[in-house]
Amino acid sequence: MAYLDINNVVKRYEGHTALDGVSMQVEQGCIYGLLGPNGAGKSTLIRIINRILAADEGSVTLNGKPMTDSDITHIGYLPEERGLYKKMKVGDHIVYLGRLKGMSKADAVASMHWWLDRFDLKKWENNKVETLSKGMQQKVQFIGTVIHRPPLLIFDEPFSGFDPVNAEQLKVEILALRDEGSTILFSTHNMASVEEVCQQITLLNHAQVVLTGSVDEVKQQHKKNIIAVQTPDNIEANEALYTLLPPDPVKKQDTRIKLAPGVQVRDAISWLNEHYLLTGFSEVLPSMNEIFIETVKSKNVVSNE
Amino acid sequence: MNKLGLIIAREYMSIVGRKSFIFMTLGMPLLFIVIMAIPVGFGYLNDKGSTTQLISVVDETGRYAPALHSDEMYTFIIEEDLTASNAHDFYNKAPNGIDAMVIIPSNVDSTGTVDILSKGTITPALVSTVRNFIADTIENAHLASLGIPNLQQMVDKAHVDIDVRSIKLSDEGAQESSTDAAMGLGFMLSFITYMFVLMYGAMIMNSVIEEKTNRIVEVVVSSCRPFQLMLGKIIGVGLVGLTQMAIWVVLLVIIGTVAGGMLGGAAPTDVVSPEAMAAAQETGFMESITRQILSINYVPILVNFVLYFIGGYLLYSSLFAGLGSAVDQASEASQFTTPVIFIMLIAFYAGIACAQNPTGPMAVWCSIIPFTSPVVMMVRLPFGVPTWQLILSLVLLIGTALAITWLAARIYRRGILHYGQKASFKDLFKWMK
Repeated sequence: MAYLDINNVVKRYEGHTALDGVSMQVEQGCIYGLLGPNGAGKSTLIRIINRILAADEGSVTLNGKPMTDSDITHIGYLPEERGLYKKMKVGDHIVYLGRLKGMSKADAVASMHWWLDRFDLKKWENNKVETLSKGMQQKVQFIGTVIHRPPLLIFDEPFSGFDPVNAEQLKVEILALRDEGSTILFSTHNMASVEEVCQQITLLNHAQVVLTGSVDEVKQQHKKNIIAVQTPDNIEANEALYTLLPPDPVKKQDTRIKLAPGVQVRDAISWLNEHYLLTGFSEVLPSMNEIFIETVKSKNVVSNE
Repeated sequence: MNKLGLIIAREYMSIVGRKSFIFMTLGMPLLFIVIMAIPVGFGYLNDKGSTTQLISVVDETGRYAPALHSDEMYTFIIEEDLTASNAHDFYNKAPNGIDAMVIIPSNVDSTGTVDILSKGTITPALVSTVRNFIADTIENAHLASLGIPNLQQMVDKAHVDIDVRSIKLSDEGAQESSTDAAMGLGFMLSFITYMFVLMYGAMIMNSVIEEKTNRIVEVVVSSCRPFQLMLGKIIGVGLVGLTQMAIWVVLLVIIGTVAGGMLGGAAPTDVVSPEAMAAAQETGFMESITRQILSINYVPILVNFVLYFIGGYLLYSSLFAGLGSAVDQASEASQFTTPVIFIMLIAFYAGIACAQNPTGPMAVWCSIIPFTSPVVMMVRLPFGVPTWQLILSLVLLIGTALAITWLAARIYRRGILHYGQKASFKDLFKWMK
């Protein structure tokens, strides 16, 4: 059974439906990407999981049991709209957030020290939050999210506001938390980070799930049967097996061919290998970015009709 | 500690730890002292700095000049050789040492006119000194001229101060009631409630808006219920207010004791001063006030004050919290706060009006309507309020306060996550549903 099971959730506001029967299963210990354009309903769904909002219909179960208010201590939530009390001291602030999640004072203090040390922020413990740089504040925010070691972590656009160095450190920490057994729900429209860290994804558009599955499956489903061939020769067209495509604007040295319907990759390659000197070849899988844009656009066309 | 306790503690510490709070708390009594001390100090400096003025006096009657006693400010010199007609010439030729010249003509008894000549401007103080001395002397002279023996004593006797004592008849028998003191107490309690709600209500609103602009609020409400956050704020800020008031009371008592000690020490050295005379006359008045203050039955008043205070604070502070949640910036809040402040002003002025007639229809109605009752009932309490009115008013107030808190919580829950487009009153009503 899925660790977090979202079943047919509906949320309506005056005049529009934010979530229209959304279902989603998140397995324990995986990093799950929740994708979608602005206004698709991601934040609403995340707020429902966090019990900030109540669903009009449907259910959310955690570890097989319907969620209650006491379950929020098992969640660490980094909202997209986030901030800190500017006048509070860094240490006090982290301890406060930990204790709000039900930690004892001693545990929260010990955990705060451990995390500040890990992020190299120890000497800032007694400084006010407002004296820290934006990057350091983001780290404090992250520590405040994970201080109580929750089994379920929800990050809404975690990398926004991080420079590349800090984003990399954050990514390492998120992967480490996953390896320790945390389940991570990751909401973003940064597709590069999805490919790097997520195993499963769900794509929301117009309040509905339009795509779901593992990253590999989704890519296979959306592949266009395009092969990039590296060869010094000039390959000519062969209608029976493939058509030639204009070269990729980035990788101009590759020759791109699109297989004819029903043709297997190895058939085309073995034929090419007989006639040309091949130095290498690879199947071109679409990037998540391409899949995202393609899916959202096609659905928009459908829904506009 | 549970979550509500944590939120209260954070809210409390975040305000009490601020420099502005410490300045405000210590600064207010200081400001109070300075405002009181400035006129006294200036007057003292003014008198101290000025040199004694030399005034020559020409008295054609020869009877009034001795009434002008020289003091620190004026030295009067009687010019016996001069008359009103040659005084001008004399003064024109006189050296600059003489600051002014008082001319009392022989017909002063009938005309009542005295001239003061001067080369510069005459101070109002000199004019009033001269007027008072001469008028008293002329008055006494008139009385004496009537030739009635012991007339002065008779006049003094005829001058009476009336002390009206109002006696309240109740089941416990006749009791001196306490009009002045009661009015003072009622007004003070009313003013405390009004100021407290206005000051700390605004503080709650700012705290709500600050959390929203900081974007911390979503982090916090993912750990607790929005209602807990709102209630924690209301209680936390309320405790801040009580702390501040407690400090002020302690400071005022200390200042009062110190100032009282200084005045008490100064008084005996100056027994014959007019102030001391006036104080002696007021002893009767003070006794009456003290008697009145002691006669007020404090226990029910204070119990009711606490109830109304809590009810009023809860009602208005949750209104402020709910309204604060609907805006992104403090500067946008005025469209919502203006009506609330308007209602509070009405309550305040109703309180002032009701102090004059605490049993009139307006006083009764305003002390029952929940939005005005916390302020107006305070004015009525010391005069005695029928039990049914008190119960009705309290039930309405507590009920309304709870209902408003509930509605404000519903607005708050939606408002704190609402960014961008400015919310309207229509939105607020939608959010309440």
